[in-house]
Amino acid sequence: MAQILVADDSETILLLMRTRLEMAGHEVETAADGQEVIDAVSRAAAPHDVLLLDAMMPRKSGIDALRELRAAGNDTPALIVSAHTDAGDEPGDRADLEIAAYITKPIDFDQLFAKITELAS
Amino acid sequence: MAKPASTRRFRLSPSLANRLTIGFAIAFAVLTGLAVIGVARFLQQRQDYENATARSYQREIEARNRLAQGRHPVAARAAVLAQQRHRSELRDEISSETRDTALLVGAGLIAGLTGAALLFTGLIASMRRPLEDLVDASGRLAGGDLNARVKIGGLSETATLGAAFNEMAEELQRRAGERDQLDRMKDEFVLTASHELRSPLTSVQGFAELLLLERERLSPKQADTVEVILDNTRHLVRLLNDLLDLARSDAGRLTIRAEPTEATGLIEDAVRTMRAQFDARRQELNLEIETGLPRIEADRDRIRQVLVNLLTNANEYCPEGAGIEVKAHRADADVEIEVIDDGPGIPAPQLERIFERFTRGDAGETQRVGGTGLGLAISKSLVELHGGTIEAESIPGAGSTFRVRLPAIAMDRAKVS
Repeated sequence: MAQILVADDSETILLLMRTRLEMAGHEVETAADGQEVIDAVSRAAAPHDVLLLDAMMPRKSGIDALRELRAAGNDTPALIVSAHTDAGDEPGDRADLEIAAYITKPIDFDQLFAKITELAS
Repeated sequence: MAKPASTRRFRLSPSLANRLTIGFAIAFAVLTGLAVIGVARFLQQRQDYENATARSYQREIEARNRLAQGRHPVAARAAVLAQQRHRSELRDEISSETRDTALLVGAGLIAGLTGAALLFTGLIASMRRPLEDLVDASGRLAGGDLNARVKIGGLSETATLGAAFNEMAEELQRRAGERDQLDRMKDEFVLTASHELRSPLTSVQGFAELLLLERERLSPKQADTVEVILDNTRHLVRLLNDLLDLARSDAGRLTIRAEPTEATGLIEDAVRTMRAQFDARRQELNLEIETGLPRIEADRDRIRQVLVNLLTNANEYCPEGAGIEVKAHRADADVEIEVIDDGPGIPAPQLERIFERFTRGDAGETQRVGGTGLGLAISKSLVELHGGTIEAESIPGAGSTFRVRLPAIAMDRAKVS
């Protein structure tokens, strides 16, 4: 079981994520954009085990939020969810963001659960 | 798109034609004049000569008459001799004059022809440079260099031609630019649409999977219905992925990350992925890989995609219980991978277009088979990006063979790397 912070701008996706992750026995907190991610992280009593962030969100993207968190010294393992099938190829310096993996939409939950177990252990 | 061509028309100024006509007229007049003068002079000289000769004979006859009559015989004899000498002088004179006339006419002709030749060579020479320029620029334009332009100059005719050429090149470049922009918009649209469709598809697929996780609470009919939703969602996702690949391929942005790869492992991996599907249709899948197969320079995921595509086609188009063989061996400097089935085969007209987009098996089959009609087109692009080839052979009723050849890494190079 892991404490997971999930961020997506779609309520439907958040509901899906929460349901599947809770069914798998994880504890889920949700955020609707990058700012909510940062707020949730700073508010948390104990650090989350895994961050599951959508790459593109209005106002502040998952990537930007992660960049701020890393700059503030946060080292929570992060998974980036993206609609891009070639998300890993995108330009821009993401080397220092320590992204554990890219999860492509539509989500293969078996693969996602395996990643979370690996990162949370 | 058919837009009326520019209303501006290029016209050749009449100056070249005029110059040529005047040149011809002058040359013609000079040469004709020379000929007429020459002939007239020749005839005149001939006439003078004949008259003088006739007069001389007349005088000689008169002298001879006087001699016959015995009047002044000494003087008459001298006159006869004088006339004979005079005619001999006339003959010398006429032949010398004829020669002079011939020389004069000949020299005139040569001078006229030389002048005409110089005139035309000059014209040709002044056209040659601009024409060479045009030939060069046309060649570059044909070769795809839309920046090809000519320097406008020389005769007004070549200048006009040059200006016309430049305007044509300008127009071509403008249209190519428009077309490129449209292409970019199309690619951008496909990329955006594909990404935008992914989020709702994620929900549809995710919630359908969620329902199936509680299958025991669904009636069999409901469970089947959800399966249909899931199947179709997966099909849509495949279609999106394929469209994305094609859009990238069209935009020249389908890229591969090739690295030295063990062909054997790659093929086994693709076959392993597909094993369950073959078992489900009770099809026999045999693998025959030559030992010591050289390594290939390959993007693992992409070649796997190609092989899975070929295996999926064999799996879906062959009837239950069919036999499929995957063979791999070295062929010259390549590694050749064959997917051979004993299925229904592909009729010749379809076989010819099998690697084109949206070419699929016959309509009845495509109802059953879940492909997108894009797989082989993408496979071809991917194999060609690797510097390889893909081809298909089929005997209707006996089966099909798909053959992929990928350049092997030369043994000595493989050792170094």
